Amino acid sequence: MYKRAQWQWLAAVLLLTAACKKDDNNVTKLNYEDGVSTVIHDLAGDTEASVADGVEGKERRPFRSFYFKLSTKLQSWDSSSTFKQSNNWDLAFTDIYNALVYVNNGSGEGPGKGGAGKGLIMSVDTAYSKVTTAPDAVDFESANLGFAGWDGYPQPYNKGWYFYSLNTHLAIPIKNRTFIIRTADGKYGKLELINVYQGNPPAVTDLFWPAPYFTFRYFVQEDGSHNLKTP
Amino acid sequence: MRTSKEFYTLLILCCSGLCAYSQSDTSHTLKGVEVKAVHLETLSSRAAMPVTVIDRKTLEMMGSRRLDEVMREQTGIAIVNDVSAGARAIGMQLQGFSSDYILVLIDGQPMIGRNAGNFDLSRITVSDIERIEIVKGASSSLFGSEALGGVVNIITRQKIDAAQGQAIVRYGSQHTQDFTVEGETPFGVQSGSRQSNIGNVNDTRDYKGTLSVSGNFYRTDGYNVNSFLSKGATAPPYDSYSLQGRLRYTLNAKNSLNIAGRWALRNSINESVYSSSQVTNTTRDVLHENDINTAIVWQADVNKGWQLKTQYYLTRYSTTQDVSTGKSTQLTSNDFTQYYHRFEEQVRYVVSNQLSFAGGAGGNLEVMDGNDLKSEYGYLQGDWKVNSRLSSRLGFRYDHSDFYGGRLNPSAGLKYSLSEKILLTAAFGTGYKTPDFQKRYQVFTNPQAGYTVLGVEEVASQLTAMQAAGLISEVRPVAKDIGIALKPEMAVSYNAGISYTPVPKIRIDVNGFYNQLHNFINTVQIATRTNFQPVYSYINLDRSFTGGVEAGISTHVIKGLDVAVGYQLLYAKDRGIMDAIRKGAYPYDKIRNNNTGETRASKVSDYFGLENRSRHMLHLRVFYEYAPWGISATFRANYKSRSGYDDANNNRFLDTYDTFIDAYCLVYASIEKKLCKGHLAVQLTADNLMNYTDMLMPGQPGRILMAGVKWRLFKQ
Repeated sequence: MYKRAQWQWLAAVLLLTAACKKDDNNVTKLNYEDGVSTVIHDLAGDTEASVADGVEGKERRPFRSFYFKLSTKLQSWDSSSTFKQSNNWDLAFTDIYNALVYVNNGSGEGPGKGGAGKGLIMSVDTAYSKVTTAPDAVDFESANLGFAGWDGYPQPYNKGWYFYSLNTHLAIPIKNRTFIIRTADGKYGKLELINVYQGNPPAVTDLFWPAPYFTFRYFVQEDGSHNLKTP
Repeated sequence: MRTSKEFYTLLILCCSGLCAYSQSDTSHTLKGVEVKAVHLETLSSRAAMPVTVIDRKTLEMMGSRRLDEVMREQTGIAIVNDVSAGARAIGMQLQGFSSDYILVLIDGQPMIGRNAGNFDLSRITVSDIERIEIVKGASSSLFGSEALGGVVNIITRQKIDAAQGQAIVRYGSQHTQDFTVEGETPFGVQSGSRQSNIGNVNDTRDYKGTLSVSGNFYRTDGYNVNSFLSKGATAPPYDSYSLQGRLRYTLNAKNSLNIAGRWALRNSINESVYSSSQVTNTTRDVLHENDINTAIVWQADVNKGWQLKTQYYLTRYSTTQDVSTGKSTQLTSNDFTQYYHRFEEQVRYVVSNQLSFAGGAGGNLEVMDGNDLKSEYGYLQGDWKVNSRLSSRLGFRYDHSDFYGGRLNPSAGLKYSLSEKILLTAAFGTGYKTPDFQKRYQVFTNPQAGYTVLGVEEVASQLTAMQAAGLISEVRPVAKDIGIALKPEMAVSYNAGISYTPVPKIRIDVNGFYNQLHNFINTVQIATRTNFQPVYSYINLDRSFTGGVEAGISTHVIKGLDVAVGYQLLYAKDRGIMDAIRKGAYPYDKIRNNNTGETRASKVSDYFGLENRSRHMLHLRVFYEYAPWGISATFRANYKSRSGYDDANNNRFLDTYDTFIDAYCLVYASIEKKLCKGHLAVQLTADNLMNYTDMLMPGQPGRILMAGVKWRLFKQ
């Protein structure tokens, strides 16, 4: 009886140990490359800025905006009104953590105001690869958000690409939300803003995780059509 | 896939438990490893609620070094990171209550020094601990009513009947080093034996006094579970020094004096390097922590049955914590020094074997960076053994603070032996916690996220100032209600249990618990800054609750073999969220399937519960001792079902599409061999044997293997 009991125990312990075996580290690094889209990793925003009072080593000032041209992948920090009103950029990364993203539109409110930019932006709650077509100009105009930032902010209808968790106070990107855009020059495309934290982690576990470092991908249909199919 | 694995693990744990249950052939008594509703003879644990005891022998067999390692393995307890308060904010959760509501006592006196409410137990070494007592739920009377969620009482070395010394050296993974030297001796031989004290473990029968001194050094490289870090640790590295001493002296037949002191120091430098693409960022987090506890207790047996205890307790905690980037930019600093004085007079009166009373009154003075907080309290507790089957306990505690006035908290417990095999228990208690300095006076803007938090008493003036400076774009109607009327938090706890001993070697305990938290203090957005960032303050929310069942089976069927299984079922929810979902209030009204992007209306049943709480927790322990060979071994497995990490679909409550920490099971083992007639012992321990780590649990280290040698010096 005694011996048998011991064997039973050994078996139970071994089974248990097997059941508790090491799992992966909960980190899945996604591959965003599909052959036609452009993927930008860790594009640094204004990492020197602070929003709080009394932070040593840097003055408290608003985040400097930067501008991005999709076709050339060029980042610019030129904030002159000549530049802002030109078609040399498609996306402006503004405000807190450069996370408020405007399109270059000459007639709307935003950095491109007064220029010739034809930029539009609208959100669809669909995976990036499943967004295959841009709406016609009239529908797009009426759905135009002008910018994409904090989801539901300042109004619930302001669809954004991330939100702040009230639990951890971290910015959390909204998965499977894709933005259909029109560039300054009037070409149609789609955009996925993926992360604001360095390295695009699946979840942020450190309050001081370096930010803003943008990971995003986009596709612009160069033939001028509304076809946004990507593999 | 995961669900089936969870099930598999659970099944095996259950089966293992049943195997143990079925082997009932020999007779032995139970050891104090399991959950027990025992009446302890220490003051601080005279709780109406059931008490869990972890004894010295268990601690030694487990081979744990720090207190957090011990607590991690207890049923109903979780050690969780508070990500919102930084990498060093880690605390103990008990029955779903966060660390903020758990009082940590050392020999019955409160320990201080918290990081946003979190008490980091890793700053306490296990080396000098005789016993740990855990009371779950609000049970106010003797220890302080602010313990809404429970109390952990650390009892340092007490029983000294012979001169002896011990040295322990341990070394292992992550360059972990643990050195302990301790010595204790009785002195001043006394003729005749002293009357034993009521309610104390003072066993100095033949000596006038006892003295014990111990010192401990501990260091670790920490542990990293974040694959995005090329350097640094998520469980920070540190070195810690602690010294403890205790002197007991019997002045005469009726008077004795007890002086105890503890000093602990901790230094930690954690340099984290994030590397990706061509970008490298360094964050340097430096912590210095200094912790002192001293107590003087004078105990006098005044008259037949009457005993007086006069005590003064002083503790000081100071910390400096600075986080900066490699560019020597300071991100945050958290520096403070806190003093806590307590003077208490206690009277105990034993009327008869059936009836006894304990009462006391005291005052606390808390000083923190120039702010004073005074409070007074009084308590009375009666124990009445009605008959051989029924015993009862009733207690009251009155707390008074200058700002919040007075408040009476009752607690009551009943025990009834239905038969020799069945014991029924029921307990009830309330707790009360006044808002801390932060919630009243802080003015804080988070440098990372850019939001502002205002203490309730600062709201009116700060909002006006911010509006005048053009920083505010919108003030919400709720801001008018904030004012200074932040009410203290209140908890009501209920506990009912049955203890069944079918045969002398097997015991089954089942306890149901329900804790209701009223006036729960939560953050609320009161305004919006022109930079789109919110301004928060604090408001009392209606209530949260935690409820569930704790069950345990413990067996001792084979000589030297102890097997225990513990299980906790937990529901922890915020009724405010449930009401918001029911009413369809934005943003609680919707639920977005993040896999497809579709959004639908939410239902109350979509709400999972509070973050960081596992619904199921299962613990298995096997302790084996083979005395003839001086060998002892332990095997422990701890399972926790998945728990919520954070919202991922912007509806501010946890639902199935949010980020969850997967269910997991950690395995621990240890083996010890005694040599040289018990003078020498060699121990090997393995914590987290299967090396399970999760990025979402930054404070949970992977596999730690340690080897240790203990050398004991004593007279045969």
